[in-house]
Amino acid sequence: MRTQLYEHHRALGAKLIDFGGWEMPLQYKGILQEHQVVRQHVGIFDVSHMGRICVEGLGAEALLDYLSTNQIAGKKDGTATYTVWCTEAGMCLDDLIVYRQSETKFFIVVNASNRQKDLNHLLHYSVGKDVIITERFVEDGILALQGPNAISLISKIFPKASALKRMEFISENYRGKEVVIANTGYTGAGGVEIYAENQTIVSLWEILLEKGQEFHIQPVGLGARDTLRLEMGYALYGHELSETMAPTETVSAWTIKWNKSDFLGKRALETLEKLKKKRNQYGIVLIEKGVIREGYPVFYNGRPVGQVTSGTYSPMLQQSIAIISVEKKLNVGDSLDIQIRQNLCPAKVVSLPFIGTVGH
Amino acid sequence: MKFTESHEWIRVEKNIGTVGVTNYAQKELGDIVYVELPKVGSVVKKGQEAVVLESTKAAADVYAPVSGTIIEVNHLLGTASEMVNNSPEKDGWLFKLSLSNPEEFDSLMDKEAYQSQINK
Repeated sequence: MRTQLYEHHRALGAKLIDFGGWEMPLQYKGILQEHQVVRQHVGIFDVSHMGRICVEGLGAEALLDYLSTNQIAGKKDGTATYTVWCTEAGMCLDDLIVYRQSETKFFIVVNASNRQKDLNHLLHYSVGKDVIITERFVEDGILALQGPNAISLISKIFPKASALKRMEFISENYRGKEVVIANTGYTGAGGVEIYAENQTIVSLWEILLEKGQEFHIQPVGLGARDTLRLEMGYALYGHELSETMAPTETVSAWTIKWNKSDFLGKRALETLEKLKKKRNQYGIVLIEKGVIREGYPVFYNGRPVGQVTSGTYSPMLQQSIAIISVEKKLNVGDSLDIQIRQNLCPAKVVSLPFIGTVGH
Repeated sequence: MKFTESHEWIRVEKNIGTVGVTNYAQKELGDIVYVELPKVGSVVKKGQEAVVLESTKAAADVYAPVSGTIIEVNHLLGTASEMVNNSPEKDGWLFKLSLSNPEEFDSLMDKEAYQSQINK
């Protein structure tokens, strides 16, 4: 599958790879360089493979609140909320963002690999409820504009975007078509995400690359998207989150609002908490040179305790960073060993995010 | 200079071979952030893994194009791994070895054969 910007990526010399059935740009000029551009200037990402689903009606708020670990009911209009969705067994179905336009009008943005699964889940739990669900997988596209110059750039086209606080969004008009601009992002570098129908997304991609020249804009691929989010300690579904993980065992555990009267999976999670035999996720850095990668075994005091869920080289820290999932309770500063090929390499538990955030 | 199917190059002078990866390889691998070099004095056989190149995305093995004993490694790569990307066929050389079976060098691909292989 390809997004509507496929030819643009090819024309820009992107190295395209298979990403869960999607032919997406891994990089254009290089992962390290693109990573730095986002941290220092502004980068633009095509993330149109992600799925947008509209959830509307009198029962929309209650349904979304029930499906989500985080608080959805009673939030302010024009705000977005990051949350995990659980199965009834309390395992992670997906992580996503819920955008509230009004009490009866929402849309959600879900991971590309879980589009159909999440849609089926929504449809299943909407039966008998006053809710209309409309997927916009084919007609809509999504862009992310991230970096210290992102807000200045987007404000040149949409001046009201400059007033957006973190997790706020507005609905604007571009040549007669609706564009949603949200102060959200997966990089920690600040900026916006943009939702619109395909042709508008293509026009905005072109005009942002043009107007962004004075801000040193570059197109950025999924390779840098991963190194950027990992520097922030953000979860990636399929790594830190999956259907074999309960959200309580992950870096996204903070989304769980236990004071909610009920949410799908709550009972299962309460039982799991009582058992006290759960896993925990931590951020680690490799003490010496090398690269920690997903799947590498983790040792504590010589005993195997888990494995790496995500690992990479951090361009900002200039060392390897990773998130691990272990059957132990650890503290910041604890020493561990990671098995890299035949060697046990020393690492240390650190607090997340690995790097500081921008201005929020 | 001769080449392997796995994108290594080797130059031999007075039975000492200098080995690295080709420009095609470094482009495929992306930014190299760490190079795991072999120990000087280790003996390698043709086709044996000698070096591991860690890029942001994955770890890639580099194979010895010929058999021999490692006599020198490029220490500069310890602080400047990007040389493998910037000068793969010159300053980004990986190791030098003294050949134990010089005929192995003759059976490697020349530049034309390698070019046509990567153009396929």
